[in-house]
Amino acid sequence: MKITVKFWSYFRDLTECEETLLEVNEGKTLGDLHATVMTQFPKLAEMKNSTLKAVGVDYQTDEFVLSDGDEVSLFPPVQGG
Amino acid sequence: MKTQLTLTSNPIPESTPLMTDGMGAVVTFHGVVRGTEDGEPIRAIDYEANEPMVRHQFELIFAAIEKQWPIESIHLIHRVGEVAENDPSLRVEVIAPHRAEAFAACQFLIDEMKAKVPIWKRAVR
Repeated sequence: MKITVKFWSYFRDLTECEETLLEVNEGKTLGDLHATVMTQFPKLAEMKNSTLKAVGVDYQTDEFVLSDGDEVSLFPPVQGG
Repeated sequence: MKTQLTLTSNPIPESTPLMTDGMGAVVTFHGVVRGTEDGEPIRAIDYEANEPMVRHQFELIFAAIEKQWPIESIHLIHRVGEVAENDPSLRVEVIAPHRAEAFAACQFLIDEMKAKVPIWKRAVR
């Protein structure tokens, strides 16, 4: 499956890119994907516990099972207002 | 409940609430850029938004408000891009029959926004 991972806010500084395209096996979860991303971008591992995760426009938990073509967003705590 | 959500890089305009029959309360909140961040002076804050997700998350918050309180309308404007110190970055206007639900809904909206709506800021020094 092909999954697009987008980075927001200072996560872009940590990864030095806006997004990456990952190939993952069927049945992988959002948590699995996050682990893969942290291997590829080790600086994100320091933010592991405060990272917020969304698929499309909805927040999801680590147990969420991904589908081909999903767009995942990873970002730090939000700061609107 | 009527809602209007605007994300804009332009200054937030002055406006007069459009009242309808039976509405007795308008709560308006402005969030304003402070001139300091972590004790250091700044000249602006640069706001970044994941716009499709921002719109969706606000819709979820509006739906939650509609379930809890009899609100007539919510009009929300949030700036994106650079906002100078002392300028408003956020304006929320809640119209309701009575003040209690208007205050409660406004407080709930802002609390939920600060937890869930994907907007981030960067100090500009």
